[in-house]
Amino acid sequence: MLVLTRKSGEGILIGDDIKITVVGMRGNSIRIGIDAPRSQKVHRLEVYERIQEQNREAVRWEPADFENLESLFNTPAQQEQP
Amino acid sequence: MKTINCRFGEIDFDPANTLKTPRGFIGFEDLRDFIVMPKRNEGPLFWIQSADDPAIAFLLTDPTQFFPEYQVGPDKEESALLDIGPNDSCFVLSVVTVHPDQTITLNLAAPVLFAPETNNAVQVILEGATYQTRTPLPTTAPTAAAAAK
Repeated sequence: MLVLTRKSGEGILIGDDIKITVVGMRGNSIRIGIDAPRSQKVHRLEVYERIQEQNREAVRWEPADFENLESLFNTPAQQEQP
Repeated sequence: MKTINCRFGEIDFDPANTLKTPRGFIGFEDLRDFIVMPKRNEGPLFWIQSADDPAIAFLLTDPTQFFPEYQVGPDKEESALLDIGPNDSCFVLSVVTVHPDQTITLNLAAPVLFAPETNNAVQVILEGATYQTRTPLPTTAPTAAAAAK
């Protein structure tokens, strides 16, 4: 991993169009500003990892679960499925 | 037609009719083709099987049946990924997790947007929202039909 030291107000350019700026610091926290094209999704790492982990957990179901679970779903009303 | 041998047995499918995920699912970015399995009953669950990896299948459901206020639509970039225009329909789906104790949770933090016209789907992360990756189903009174069983 590339490690750089930056002061408050300084920044980093990644590629042609992603600019990361250290906006300020308070205690343990660092405020970071990100300028990136809208097509580049920006996520907090722990949020992304939590969803990754949830997806991995979600694929571990078995066909037997399916049979049991349908009955556990109490839908308020039977609606048309998309 | 192609055939895949997975935990549900041998499945024949037409590669031209698979559900396409242009970005894959988060953590499964390489898997871009899924077989939508025919529903076996009227329940709210259905599942999609990866056409490439027999071990990977997701259970999905329509979260608005349980959370009517849950409204998610595609932004411009997501519409482009789904290859739809502003007037095309787009449904929101949730990935269902079955836990070892058989409880069920929905991932409302990362819904799957599905465009029936193009048969494309994309999983999105709701940044800044308070939705959880493990949202328990709301506890509702059993329906009359269920109570009669």
